[in-house]
Amino acid sequence: MPVFLCALVLILSVVAAEANWYFPPPPPPEEFGNLLIDRTSTKNKVKPVTFSHWSHRRKHTCQVCHSELDFAFKVNVSQITEAENLAGKYCGACHDGKIAFDHGKANCEKCHNGDRGYGKEKFPELANLPRTRSGNRIDWVRAMEEKTIAPARFLKVKPTPGIAYEKTLLLEAEWERVPPAIFPHKSHTAWLECSNCHPEIFNIQKKTTKHFEMIKNLAGEFCGVCHLTVAFPMSDCRGCHPTMKGWQ
Amino acid sequence: MKKWFVIALLVPVLASFAHAQTGTKKRRPLPYEYGGVVIGNYSANAGFSPVQFDHWLHRAKYTCRLCHVDIGFAMKANTTGIKAADNMKGYYCGTCHNGKMVHGDRKIFEACATKYTREDLKRCSRCHSKGENIKRDYDFATFTERFPKERFGNGVDWEKAEERGLLKPVDFIEGVSIKRPALAVQKDFTLTAKVETMPEIIFSHKKHTVWNGCELCHPEIFAGIKKGMTKYSMVEIFEGKYCGACHMSVAFPTTDCQRCHSKPVR
Repeated sequence: MPVFLCALVLILSVVAAEANWYFPPPPPPEEFGNLLIDRTSTKNKVKPVTFSHWSHRRKHTCQVCHSELDFAFKVNVSQITEAENLAGKYCGACHDGKIAFDHGKANCEKCHNGDRGYGKEKFPELANLPRTRSGNRIDWVRAMEEKTIAPARFLKVKPTPGIAYEKTLLLEAEWERVPPAIFPHKSHTAWLECSNCHPEIFNIQKKTTKHFEMIKNLAGEFCGVCHLTVAFPMSDCRGCHPTMKGWQ
Repeated sequence: MKKWFVIALLVPVLASFAHAQTGTKKRRPLPYEYGGVVIGNYSANAGFSPVQFDHWLHRAKYTCRLCHVDIGFAMKANTTGIKAADNMKGYYCGTCHNGKMVHGDRKIFEACATKYTREDLKRCSRCHSKGENIKRDYDFATFTERFPKERFGNGVDWEKAEERGLLKPVDFIEGVSIKRPALAVQKDFTLTAKVETMPEIIFSHKKHTVWNGCELCHPEIFAGIKKGMTKYSMVEIFEGKYCGACHMSVAFPTTDCQRCHSKPVR
């Protein structure tokens, strides 16, 4: 009976895995990380808002928007409204006519255009940044390390100096023949603050890694919160499993 | 055979529930929602909406100790079991909300009654307001405007606001609190983090006793007899124990890591 049980579990997990182990064709580099925000736009008869991560992350670290301005990590979750924006919250924190273009009538179409590829003519401006194989084809971490870009860490409220936690974790893979993944805290804390990931996404116990198997990452949990659609995608296996051979 | 199939199906499902807490981001409460508590042990039975209690207004006027020690509110929502009858006898909310007590230039409205007019019903909904469209007497943004800002929680640095005299929380109610000579405030101390290179934690007794006295934390949450006697980990704090009893939901949240982990590692 146990043999049968094992076989069944194996079959089930393979079935479950197959459903997930399908990477949709990647968007062109200039559209990777772009979103259409449509929580209420279409309902209110305006076009969805286009948002490009690459154009914003050139100048701001993730934590500016995802901590200070409180944007959720999932599209259409934050309660962004016109009134909030006009009151200086969310997009309005910068898009006030002083830091970035304002919320006036003349600029509606700059965001409410329903075009995921909007603004791609500006993408070549990033041609001088270090390259990678995937996502925007830009090595954002190196770009910041080499000071090619110097994204801001805050807008108004200065955070207390960061905790210099730089430990690189070695995460053993659950599958045989898959080399371990490395997790460098340093390249993450350059962009994020501790609380962006801890304790909600990752509890701080290392044994926690036991339950963030690849399948969960691929379903958009754990690493997948960012590394599917915004940070370099998981189809770039060696981005995390650097010694992986015969794969991408 | 069928039984095994069901079990085999259930195992992965149950396993995923066990770890449901991590892996995804939750919605962060807005500044005015932070510290909000919904109390509804008996409300529905009495035909009322649950009580929406917001810490921000009360904590600007009273110390934590006053309600959680002298009056005896538990530290977890819905564990006190507040009854209308108790409020009417002058316990819990009724200690102050009796229609007689005065704070500043305002008489504090009376909570709960057995006899009431149609007009009085409006007063019920000042507390029993969960899910109701009630206009509050105090607007969060206007009320907190003058206080120093912080990044998380209510977006208010309550500690600094008190330090600067912008608020003077009441810590004594005649007939309820007992005035005894204060104990000497214990010294600040550092706690070494278990993880290497994490900055040490500076714990300030002084900052805590302003709001909490001794009794709120000792001896239940922390035995408090000898440093190092109560052993706890960050994981337990995240689960709402120890520091997490306050610092997950009411006092500044644990996501503000550096506010505690503030001493550079030598």
